[in-house]
Amino acid sequence: MALTDTAPRVRVENLRIAFPRPDAAPLEVLSGISLDVADGEFVAVVGPSGSGKSTILRAICGLLKPAGGRVSVDGRPVTTPPPEVGFMFQKDALLPWCTVAENIRVGAELGGVARAEHAGRVSALIRLLRLDGFEDAFPKQLSGGMRQRASLGRLLAYNPSLMLMDEPFGALDYQTKIVMGRELLRIWEAERRAIIFVTHDIEEAVALADRVVVFSARPARIVADYAVDLPRPRDLRAMRGEAAFVRLTEAIWSDLALPA
Amino acid sequence: MSDSATARAPAGNAGPAQGAAAWRTGAAQAGLILVLLALWEIAARTVLNPFWSSRPSLIAERIWRLALSGELWVHCSITLQEAGAGLLLGAAAGVPLGIALARAPRTAKVVEPVVMGLYGLPRVALAPLFILWFGIGLMSKIMMAFTMVVFIFMLNVMEGIRTIDPDHLDLMRSMRAGRFYLARKVLLPAVTPWILASFRIGVGLALIGAVVGELIGANRGLGWYVEKSGGQLDTTGVFTGLVVLMILAMLANQLIGFVERRTIRWR
Repeated sequence: MALTDTAPRVRVENLRIAFPRPDAAPLEVLSGISLDVADGEFVAVVGPSGSGKSTILRAICGLLKPAGGRVSVDGRPVTTPPPEVGFMFQKDALLPWCTVAENIRVGAELGGVARAEHAGRVSALIRLLRLDGFEDAFPKQLSGGMRQRASLGRLLAYNPSLMLMDEPFGALDYQTKIVMGRELLRIWEAERRAIIFVTHDIEEAVALADRVVVFSARPARIVADYAVDLPRPRDLRAMRGEAAFVRLTEAIWSDLALPA
Repeated sequence: MSDSATARAPAGNAGPAQGAAAWRTGAAQAGLILVLLALWEIAARTVLNPFWSSRPSLIAERIWRLALSGELWVHCSITLQEAGAGLLLGAAAGVPLGIALARAPRTAKVVEPVVMGLYGLPRVALAPLFILWFGIGLMSKIMMAFTMVVFIFMLNVMEGIRTIDPDHLDLMRSMRAGRFYLARKVLLPAVTPWILASFRIGVGLALIGAVVGELIGANRGLGWYVEKSGGQLDTTGVFTGLVVLMILAMLANQLIGFVERRTIRWR
Protein backbone atom coordinates (compact mmCIF):
# COMPACT_ATOMS: atom_id res chain seq x y z
CA MET A 1 0.00 0.00 0.00
CA ALA A 2 2.57 2.54 -1.10
CA LEU A 3 1.01 5.98 -1.23
CA THR A 4 3.14 7.18 -4.11
CA ASP A 5 1.05 10.29 -4.78
CA THR A 6 2.05 11.98 -1.52
CA ALA A 7 5.48 13.13 -0.35
CA PRO A 8 7.21 10.67 1.97
CA ARG A 9 6.86 11.26 5.72
CA VAL A 10 10.44 10.19 6.25
CA ARG A 11 13.27 10.48 3.78
CA VAL A 12 16.65 9.03 4.65
CA GLU A 13 19.32 9.69 2.03
CA ASN A 14 22.70 8.03 2.02
CA LEU A 15 22.81 8.10 5.83
CA ARG A 16 26.15 7.28 7.38
CA ILE A 17 26.66 7.02 11.13
CA ALA A 18 29.92 6.32 12.93
CA PHE A 19 30.66 6.29 16.65
CA PRO A 20 34.02 7.65 17.77
CA ARG A 21 36.15 5.16 19.69
CA PRO A 22 39.17 5.77 21.87
CA ASP A 23 42.34 4.25 20.39
CA ALA A 24 40.63 3.09 17.19
CA ALA A 25 39.06 4.28 13.98
CA PRO A 26 35.41 5.36 14.37
CA LEU A 27 33.01 2.44 14.41
CA GLU A 28 30.90 2.70 11.28
CA VAL A 29 27.39 1.52 12.05
CA LEU A 30 25.36 2.66 9.05
CA SER A 31 27.03 3.02 5.68
CA GLY A 32 24.88 4.78 3.14
CA ILE A 33 21.29 3.89 4.01
CA SER A 34 18.48 5.35 1.89
CA LEU A 35 14.88 4.78 2.88
CA ASP A 36 11.53 6.50 2.28
CA VAL A 37 8.50 5.91 4.44
CA ALA A 38 5.08 6.97 3.16
CA ASP A 39 2.24 8.35 5.24
CA GLY A 40 0.35 5.66 7.11
CA GLU A 41 2.89 3.04 6.16
CA PHE A 42 3.98 0.31 8.59
CA VAL A 43 7.62 -0.46 7.87
CA ALA A 44 9.56 -3.12 9.73
CA VAL A 45 13.35 -3.16 9.85
CA VAL A 46 15.06 -6.49 10.51
CA GLY A 47 18.71 -7.38 10.66
CA PRO A 48 21.35 -9.15 12.73
CA SER A 49 21.85 -7.83 16.25
CA GLY A 50 24.26 -4.94 16.45
CA SER A 51 23.52 -4.02 12.85
CA GLY A 52 22.42 -0.46 13.55
CA LYS A 53 18.67 -0.95 13.42
CA SER A 54 18.18 1.15 16.54
CA THR A 55 20.69 3.68 15.29
CA ILE A 56 18.59 4.62 12.27
CA LEU A 57 15.59 5.25 14.54
CA ARG A 58 17.69 7.48 16.76
CA ALA A 59 18.87 9.43 13.73
CA ILE A 60 15.31 9.91 12.45
CA CYS A 61 14.30 11.09 15.93
CA GLY A 62 17.16 13.58 16.03
CA LEU A 63 18.82 11.89 19.01
CA LEU A 64 21.98 11.16 16.98
CA LYS A 65 23.99 13.29 14.58
CA PRO A 66 24.78 11.65 11.23
CA ALA A 67 28.35 11.52 9.99
CA GLY A 68 27.04 11.91 6.47
CA GLY A 69 23.84 11.98 4.45
CA ARG A 70 20.50 13.53 5.29
CA VAL A 71 17.39 12.72 7.27
CA SER A 72 14.17 14.66 6.83
CA VAL A 73 10.72 14.30 8.30
CA ASP A 74 7.82 15.88 6.41
CA GLY A 75 10.34 17.63 4.18
CA ARG A 76 12.24 19.32 7.03
CA PRO A 77 15.80 18.27 7.79
CA VAL A 78 16.09 16.69 11.25
CA THR A 79 18.43 18.44 13.66
CA THR A 80 16.44 18.23 16.90
CA PRO A 81 13.58 15.81 17.67
CA PRO A 82 10.71 16.66 15.30
CA PRO A 83 7.35 17.28 17.03
CA GLU A 84 5.48 14.71 14.95
CA VAL A 85 7.77 11.85 15.94
CA GLY A 86 7.30 9.59 18.97
CA PHE A 87 9.80 7.01 20.15
CA MET A 88 9.14 3.73 21.94
CA PHE A 89 12.08 2.04 23.61
CA GLN A 90 12.96 -1.62 23.94
CA LYS A 91 13.12 -1.21 27.68
CA ASP A 92 9.81 0.36 28.64
CA ALA A 93 11.52 3.53 29.94
CA LEU A 94 8.61 4.09 32.32
CA LEU A 95 9.46 6.53 35.10
CA PRO A 96 9.62 4.25 38.15
CA TRP A 97 8.43 7.02 40.49
CA CYS A 98 5.28 7.65 38.45
CA THR A 99 2.16 5.48 38.47
CA VAL A 100 0.82 3.98 35.24
CA ALA A 101 -1.62 6.88 34.85
CA GLU A 102 1.09 9.47 35.56
CA ASN A 103 3.44 7.85 33.05
CA ILE A 104 0.80 7.94 30.34
CA ARG A 105 0.00 11.51 31.31
CA VAL A 106 3.61 12.50 30.52
CA GLY A 107 2.81 11.79 26.86
CA ALA A 108 -0.29 13.99 26.98
CA GLU A 109 1.55 16.80 28.78
CA LEU A 110 4.41 16.87 26.29
CA GLY A 111 2.17 16.21 23.29
CA GLY A 112 0.60 19.63 23.56
CA VAL A 113 -2.76 18.28 24.70
CA ALA A 114 -4.86 20.95 26.46
CA ARG A 115 -4.62 20.53 30.23
CA ALA A 116 -8.37 20.02 30.58
CA GLU A 117 -8.20 16.98 28.31
CA HIS A 118 -5.28 15.20 30.02
CA ALA A 119 -7.39 13.12 32.39
CA GLY A 120 -9.84 12.09 29.68
CA ARG A 121 -7.06 11.12 27.29
CA VAL A 122 -5.29 9.09 29.96
CA SER A 123 -8.35 7.15 31.04
CA ALA A 124 -9.34 6.47 27.43
CA LEU A 125 -5.89 4.98 26.77
CA ILE A 126 -6.01 2.95 29.96
CA ARG A 127 -9.22 1.39 28.72
CA LEU A 128 -7.91 0.96 25.17
CA LEU A 129 -4.80 -0.86 26.44
CA ARG A 130 -6.75 -2.85 29.04
CA LEU A 131 -4.83 -1.46 31.97
CA ASP A 132 -8.01 -0.87 33.99
CA GLY A 133 -7.44 -1.36 37.69
CA PHE A 134 -3.71 -0.66 37.39
CA GLU A 135 -3.88 3.13 36.99
CA ASP A 136 -2.30 3.72 40.39
CA ALA A 137 0.22 0.88 40.27
CA PHE A 138 3.92 1.67 40.02
CA PRO A 139 5.86 0.11 37.11
CA LYS A 140 7.69 -2.36 39.37
CA GLN A 141 4.35 -3.87 40.29
CA LEU A 142 3.54 -4.75 36.68
CA SER A 143 4.46 -7.65 34.42
CA GLY A 144 6.66 -7.02 31.38
CA GLY A 145 3.67 -7.07 29.04
CA MET A 146 1.75 -4.54 31.08
CA ARG A 147 4.76 -2.27 31.31
CA GLN A 148 5.11 -2.23 27.53
CA ARG A 149 1.39 -1.58 27.31
CA ALA A 150 1.80 1.45 29.57
CA SER A 151 4.78 2.55 27.51
CA LEU A 152 2.65 2.26 24.36
CA GLY A 153 -0.02 4.26 26.18
CA ARG A 154 2.44 7.06 26.81
CA LEU A 155 3.45 7.03 23.14
CA LEU A 156 -0.18 7.18 22.01
CA ALA A 157 -0.94 9.95 24.51
CA TYR A 158 1.86 11.96 22.93
CA ASN A 159 -0.11 11.41 19.72
CA PRO A 160 2.72 11.34 17.18
CA SER A 161 1.83 10.92 13.52
CA LEU A 162 5.06 8.97 13.08
CA MET A 163 5.92 6.26 15.59
CA LEU A 164 9.43 4.88 15.88
CA MET A 165 9.44 1.59 17.77
CA ASP A 166 12.74 0.04 18.80
CA GLU A 167 12.17 -3.68 19.43
CA PRO A 168 9.26 -2.71 21.68
CA PHE A 169 8.20 -6.31 22.32
CA GLY A 170 11.68 -7.83 22.14
CA ALA A 171 11.95 -8.55 25.85
CA LEU A 172 8.52 -10.19 26.14
CA ASP A 173 7.70 -13.87 26.13
CA TYR A 174 6.30 -15.34 22.91
CA GLN A 175 2.63 -15.33 23.87
CA THR A 176 2.67 -11.80 25.25
CA LYS A 177 4.48 -10.66 22.14
CA ILE A 178 1.68 -12.02 19.92
CA VAL A 179 -0.94 -10.35 22.12
CA MET A 180 0.91 -7.03 21.97
CA GLY A 181 1.34 -7.30 18.20
CA ARG A 182 -2.38 -7.84 17.85
CA GLU A 183 -3.10 -4.78 20.02
CA LEU A 184 -0.71 -2.67 18.01
CA LEU A 185 -2.36 -3.71 14.73
CA ARG A 186 -5.82 -3.03 16.16
CA ILE A 187 -4.73 0.50 17.08
CA TRP A 188 -2.79 1.10 13.88
CA GLU A 189 -5.62 -0.13 11.66
CA ALA A 190 -7.96 2.34 13.33
CA GLU A 191 -5.65 5.35 12.98
CA ARG A 192 -3.05 4.53 10.31
CA ARG A 193 -0.08 6.44 11.65
CA ALA A 194 3.25 5.81 9.97
CA ILE A 195 5.31 3.31 11.94
CA ILE A 196 8.93 2.25 11.67
CA PHE A 197 9.24 -0.91 13.72
CA VAL A 198 12.66 -2.36 14.44
CA THR A 199 12.81 -6.02 15.40
CA HIS A 200 15.09 -9.02 15.20
CA ASP A 201 12.07 -11.30 14.88
CA ILE A 202 11.46 -11.96 11.17
CA GLU A 203 8.03 -13.50 11.68
CA GLU A 204 6.93 -10.55 13.78
CA ALA A 205 8.10 -8.16 11.06
CA VAL A 206 6.22 -9.98 8.29
CA ALA A 207 3.11 -10.45 10.41
CA LEU A 208 2.77 -6.78 11.31
CA ALA A 209 4.23 -4.65 8.52
CA ASP A 210 3.39 -3.47 5.00
CA ARG A 211 7.04 -3.53 4.13
CA VAL A 212 10.09 -5.29 5.55
CA VAL A 213 13.51 -3.72 5.11
CA VAL A 214 16.44 -6.08 5.70
CA PHE A 215 19.72 -4.71 7.06
CA SER A 216 23.08 -6.40 6.62
CA ALA A 217 25.53 -6.92 9.46
CA ARG A 218 27.56 -3.87 10.58
CA PRO A 219 28.27 -1.55 8.84
CA ALA A 220 24.66 -1.84 7.74
CA ARG A 221 23.40 -1.55 4.20
CA ILE A 222 19.91 -2.39 3.01
CA VAL A 223 20.10 -5.83 1.41
CA ALA A 224 16.41 -6.26 0.59
CA ASP A 225 13.10 -4.41 0.76
CA TYR A 226 9.96 -6.53 0.58
CA ALA A 227 6.34 -5.47 0.15
CA VAL A 228 4.17 -7.69 2.35
CA ASP A 229 1.07 -8.54 0.30
CA LEU A 230 -0.92 -10.14 3.06
CA PRO A 231 -4.54 -8.99 3.42
CA ARG A 232 -5.63 -6.85 6.36
CA PRO A 233 -7.01 -7.10 8.94
CA ARG A 234 -4.59 -9.87 9.72
CA ASP A 235 -5.13 -12.87 11.90
CA LEU A 236 -1.73 -13.29 13.48
CA ARG A 237 -2.26 -16.97 14.25
CA ALA A 238 -3.87 -18.26 11.08
CA MET A 239 -1.37 -16.29 8.99
CA ARG A 240 1.61 -18.24 10.18
CA GLY A 241 0.52 -21.27 8.12
CA GLU A 242 -0.17 -19.36 4.89
CA ALA A 243 2.08 -19.97 1.88
CA ALA A 244 2.77 -16.27 1.23
CA PHE A 245 3.82 -15.76 4.85
CA VAL A 246 6.13 -18.76 4.84
CA ARG A 247 7.66 -17.79 1.46
CA LEU A 248 8.44 -14.29 2.67
CA THR A 249 9.98 -15.31 5.98
CA GLU A 250 12.08 -17.93 4.16
CA ALA A 251 13.32 -15.29 1.71
CA ILE A 252 14.35 -13.01 4.59
CA TRP A 253 16.07 -15.83 6.45
CA SER A 254 18.21 -16.48 3.37
CA ASP A 255 18.91 -12.74 2.93
CA LEU A 256 20.38 -12.80 6.40
CA ALA A 257 22.51 -15.72 5.18
CA LEU A 258 21.26 -17.99 7.90
CA PRO A 259 21.09 -21.68 7.04
CA ALA A 260 17.60 -23.19 7.16
CA MET B 1 -5.28 -10.92 29.13
CA SER B 2 -2.70 -13.61 29.38
CA ASP B 3 -0.04 -11.30 30.79
CA SER B 4 -2.09 -9.47 33.40
CA ALA B 5 -2.36 -12.73 35.32
CA THR B 6 1.31 -12.47 36.21
CA ALA B 7 1.04 -8.89 37.49
CA ARG B 8 1.41 -8.45 41.19
CA ALA B 9 -1.46 -6.73 42.97
CA PRO B 10 -0.96 -2.96 42.87
CA ALA B 11 -0.16 -1.07 46.05
CA GLY B 12 0.24 -4.14 48.26
CA ASN B 13 1.14 -2.32 51.47
CA ALA B 14 1.90 -3.58 54.96
CA GLY B 15 -0.45 -6.44 55.70
CA PRO B 16 -1.03 -7.88 59.17
CA ALA B 17 1.87 -10.34 58.81
CA GLN B 18 4.28 -7.52 57.98
CA GLY B 19 2.98 -5.49 60.93
CA ALA B 20 3.66 -8.34 63.33
CA ALA B 21 7.18 -8.79 61.96
CA ALA B 22 7.84 -5.07 62.44
CA TRP B 23 6.68 -5.35 66.05
CA ARG B 24 8.95 -8.31 66.66
CA THR B 25 11.92 -6.45 65.21
CA GLY B 26 11.11 -3.40 67.34
CA ALA B 27 10.86 -5.52 70.48
CA ALA B 28 14.20 -7.17 69.71
CA GLN B 29 15.83 -3.77 69.17
CA ALA B 30 14.49 -2.44 72.48
CA GLY B 31 15.55 -5.68 74.18
CA LEU B 32 19.14 -5.35 72.96
CA ILE B 33 19.35 -1.77 74.30
CA LEU B 34 17.97 -2.86 77.68
CA VAL B 35 20.46 -5.75 77.90
CA LEU B 36 23.38 -3.41 77.14
CA LEU B 37 22.18 -0.90 79.74
CA ALA B 38 21.76 -3.69 82.29
CA LEU B 39 25.30 -4.97 81.65
CA TRP B 40 26.64 -1.44 82.12
CA GLU B 41 24.68 -0.99 85.34
CA ILE B 42 25.86 -4.33 86.74
CA ALA B 43 29.47 -3.74 85.71
CA ALA B 44 29.45 -0.28 87.30
CA ARG B 45 28.07 -1.73 90.53
CA THR B 46 30.65 -4.58 90.64
CA VAL B 47 33.92 -4.36 88.69
CA LEU B 48 34.00 -0.77 87.36
CA ASN B 49 34.45 2.43 89.34
CA PRO B 50 31.38 4.60 88.62
CA PHE B 51 33.59 7.67 88.96
CA TRP B 52 35.01 6.79 85.52
CA SER B 53 32.15 4.94 83.93
CA SER B 54 29.06 6.41 85.63
CA ARG B 55 25.92 4.23 85.66
CA PRO B 56 22.73 4.17 83.59
CA SER B 57 20.65 4.79 86.72
CA LEU B 58 22.69 7.90 87.59
CA ILE B 59 22.42 9.14 84.02
CA ALA B 60 18.66 8.56 83.95
CA GLU B 61 18.34 10.45 87.21
CA ARG B 62 20.41 13.34 85.81
CA ILE B 63 18.33 13.48 82.64
CA TRP B 64 15.20 13.54 84.78
CA ARG B 65 16.56 16.42 86.88
CA LEU B 66 17.64 18.43 83.84
CA ALA B 67 14.25 17.85 82.26
CA LEU B 68 12.44 19.09 85.37
CA SER B 69 14.57 22.23 85.61
CA GLY B 70 14.03 22.97 81.91
CA GLU B 71 17.78 22.97 81.31
CA LEU B 72 17.59 19.82 79.16
CA TRP B 73 15.24 21.50 76.76
CA VAL B 74 17.47 24.60 76.46
CA HIS B 75 20.58 22.58 75.57
CA CYS B 76 18.74 20.21 73.23
CA SER B 77 16.98 22.97 71.37
CA ILE B 78 20.20 24.98 70.93
CA THR B 79 22.16 22.01 69.58
CA LEU B 80 19.25 20.90 67.39
CA GLN B 81 18.85 24.39 65.97
CA GLU B 82 22.54 24.55 65.11
CA ALA B 83 22.67 21.08 63.56
CA GLY B 84 19.27 21.43 61.87
CA ALA B 85 20.02 24.82 60.34
CA GLY B 86 23.44 23.59 59.16
CA LEU B 87 21.86 20.46 57.67
CA LEU B 88 19.17 22.39 55.82
CA LEU B 89 21.66 24.96 54.55
CA GLY B 90 23.92 22.12 53.43
CA ALA B 91 21.05 20.57 51.49
CA ALA B 92 19.98 23.91 50.04
CA ALA B 93 23.50 24.56 48.75
CA GLY B 94 24.67 21.01 48.04
CA VAL B 95 21.70 19.73 46.01
CA PRO B 96 21.69 22.48 43.36
CA LEU B 97 25.49 22.44 43.24
CA GLY B 98 25.46 18.68 42.71
CA ILE B 99 22.85 18.93 39.94
CA ALA B 100 24.73 21.78 38.25
CA LEU B 101 28.07 19.97 38.35
CA ALA B 102 26.56 16.71 37.11
CA ARG B 103 24.99 18.55 34.18
CA ALA B 104 28.23 20.41 33.35
CA PRO B 105 30.92 17.71 33.32
CA ARG B 106 33.62 20.05 32.03
CA THR B 107 33.15 22.55 34.87
CA ALA B 108 33.01 19.59 37.24
CA LYS B 109 36.44 18.44 36.03
CA VAL B 110 37.86 21.92 36.66
CA VAL B 111 36.53 22.26 40.20
CA GLU B 112 37.10 18.62 41.17
CA PRO B 113 40.55 19.05 42.82
CA VAL B 114 39.31 22.02 44.85
CA VAL B 115 36.18 20.16 45.96
CA MET B 116 38.05 16.99 46.85
CA GLY B 117 40.66 19.05 48.71
CA LEU B 118 38.01 20.76 50.81
CA TYR B 119 36.19 17.46 51.27
CA GLY B 120 39.37 15.75 52.45
CA LEU B 121 40.16 18.54 54.91
CA PRO B 122 39.36 17.48 58.50
CA ARG B 123 36.71 20.15 58.86
CA VAL B 124 36.48 19.88 62.64
CA ALA B 125 39.81 21.71 62.54
CA LEU B 126 37.96 24.74 61.17
CA ALA B 127 36.14 25.23 64.48
CA PRO B 128 38.65 27.70 66.02
CA LEU B 129 38.56 29.76 62.83
CA PHE B 130 34.77 29.80 62.74
CA ILE B 131 34.60 30.89 66.37
CA LEU B 132 36.89 33.79 65.44
CA TRP B 133 34.86 34.69 62.39
CA PHE B 134 31.30 34.13 63.60
CA GLY B 135 31.59 34.46 67.40
CA ILE B 136 30.48 32.00 70.06
CA GLY B 137 26.78 32.26 69.16
CA LEU B 138 24.66 30.06 66.91
CA MET B 139 26.27 31.14 63.65
CA SER B 140 29.67 29.53 64.16
CA LYS B 141 28.05 26.15 64.95
CA ILE B 142 25.64 26.39 62.04
CA MET B 143 28.61 26.98 59.76
CA MET B 144 30.44 24.03 61.32
CA ALA B 145 27.45 21.74 60.69
CA PHE B 146 27.12 23.18 57.18
CA THR B 147 30.71 22.43 56.21
CA MET B 148 30.34 18.91 57.56
CA VAL B 149 27.32 18.08 55.38
CA VAL B 150 27.40 20.22 52.25
CA PHE B 151 29.78 17.89 50.39
CA ILE B 152 27.71 14.86 51.33
CA PHE B 153 24.71 16.36 49.54
CA MET B 154 26.74 17.53 46.60
CA LEU B 155 28.59 14.27 45.96
CA ASN B 156 25.53 12.09 46.52
CA VAL B 157 23.38 14.15 44.17
CA MET B 158 26.10 14.06 41.51
CA GLU B 159 26.24 10.29 41.83
CA GLY B 160 22.44 10.10 41.72
CA ILE B 161 22.30 12.07 38.48
CA ARG B 162 25.00 9.84 37.01
CA THR B 163 22.87 6.76 37.68
CA ILE B 164 19.84 8.10 35.79
CA ASP B 165 18.73 5.72 33.05
CA PRO B 166 19.89 7.28 29.75
CA ASP B 167 16.64 6.02 28.20
CA HIS B 168 14.74 8.41 30.48
CA LEU B 169 16.81 11.33 29.21
CA ASP B 170 16.39 10.24 25.58
CA LEU B 171 12.68 9.76 26.15
CA MET B 172 12.32 13.30 27.45
CA ARG B 173 14.46 14.63 24.63
CA SER B 174 12.44 12.74 21.99
CA MET B 175 9.27 14.36 23.37
CA ARG B 176 10.93 17.77 23.42
CA ALA B 177 10.55 18.21 27.18
CA GLY B 178 11.73 21.56 28.52
CA ARG B 179 14.45 21.97 31.11
CA PHE B 180 11.98 22.57 33.92
CA TYR B 181 9.83 19.57 32.99
CA LEU B 182 12.93 17.36 32.82
CA ALA B 183 14.03 18.51 36.28
CA ARG B 184 10.58 17.99 37.78
CA LYS B 185 9.81 14.61 36.21
CA VAL B 186 13.22 12.96 35.98
CA LEU B 187 16.13 14.68 37.74
CA LEU B 188 14.52 15.50 41.09
CA PRO B 189 12.63 12.22 41.55
CA ALA B 190 15.76 10.29 40.56
CA VAL B 191 17.93 12.07 43.12
CA THR B 192 15.32 12.10 45.92
CA PRO B 193 16.50 8.77 47.38
CA TRP B 194 20.08 10.10 47.25
CA ILE B 195 19.04 13.32 48.98
CA LEU B 196 17.28 11.37 51.71
CA ALA B 197 20.31 9.12 52.11
CA SER B 198 22.39 12.29 52.46
CA PHE B 199 20.10 13.48 55.24
CA ARG B 200 20.53 10.14 56.95
CA ILE B 201 24.33 10.43 56.86
CA GLY B 202 24.17 14.19 57.42
CA VAL B 203 22.25 14.08 60.71
CA GLY B 204 25.17 12.55 62.55
CA LEU B 205 27.73 14.77 60.83
CA ALA B 206 25.73 17.94 61.48
CA LEU B 207 25.53 17.02 65.16
CA ILE B 208 29.30 16.48 65.17
CA GLY B 209 29.79 19.90 63.59
CA ALA B 210 27.51 21.61 66.09
CA VAL B 211 29.01 19.80 69.10
CA VAL B 212 32.61 20.43 68.05
CA GLY B 213 31.75 24.12 67.73
CA GLU B 214 30.23 24.04 71.21
CA LEU B 215 33.26 22.27 72.68
CA ILE B 216 35.54 25.02 71.40
CA GLY B 217 33.52 28.05 72.32
CA ALA B 218 29.95 28.31 73.57
CA ASN B 219 27.85 28.97 76.64
CA ARG B 220 24.93 26.66 75.90
CA GLY B 221 24.14 23.41 74.10
CA LEU B 222 24.78 19.72 74.68
CA GLY B 223 28.41 19.95 73.54
CA TRP B 224 28.97 22.75 75.98
CA TYR B 225 27.30 20.68 78.73
CA VAL B 226 29.65 17.75 77.98
CA GLU B 227 32.66 20.08 78.00
CA LYS B 228 31.60 21.78 81.22
CA SER B 229 30.90 18.46 82.99
CA GLY B 230 34.26 17.08 81.88
CA GLY B 231 35.97 20.14 83.33
CA GLN B 232 34.28 19.42 86.65
CA LEU B 233 35.25 15.70 86.57
CA ASP B 234 31.50 14.96 86.38
CA THR B 235 31.46 11.75 84.29
CA THR B 236 27.71 11.35 84.79
CA GLY B 237 27.27 14.78 83.21
CA VAL B 238 29.51 13.84 80.28
CA PHE B 239 27.61 10.60 79.71
CA THR B 240 24.30 12.40 80.08
CA GLY B 241 25.25 14.78 77.26
CA LEU B 242 26.41 11.90 75.10
CA VAL B 243 23.32 9.80 75.75
CA VAL B 244 21.01 12.70 74.94
CA LEU B 245 22.97 13.37 71.72
CA MET B 246 22.65 9.71 70.80
CA ILE B 247 18.91 9.73 71.45
CA LEU B 248 18.53 12.85 69.30
CA ALA B 249 20.47 11.24 66.44
CA MET B 250 18.34 8.09 66.69
CA LEU B 251 15.10 10.07 66.67
CA ALA B 252 16.27 12.09 63.67
CA ASN B 253 17.13 8.86 61.89
CA GLN B 254 13.67 7.48 62.62
CA LEU B 255 12.13 10.67 61.26
CA ILE B 256 14.14 10.41 58.05
CA GLY B 257 13.26 6.74 57.70
CA PHE B 258 9.61 7.70 58.02
CA VAL B 259 9.95 10.42 55.37
CA GLU B 260 11.80 7.96 53.12
CA ARG B 261 9.03 5.41 53.35
CA ARG B 262 6.41 8.04 52.58
CA THR B 263 8.15 9.70 49.64
CA ILE B 264 9.72 6.76 47.81
CA ARG B 265 6.87 4.31 47.78
CA TRP B 266 7.76 3.47 44.16
CA ARG B 267 10.89 1.57 45.13
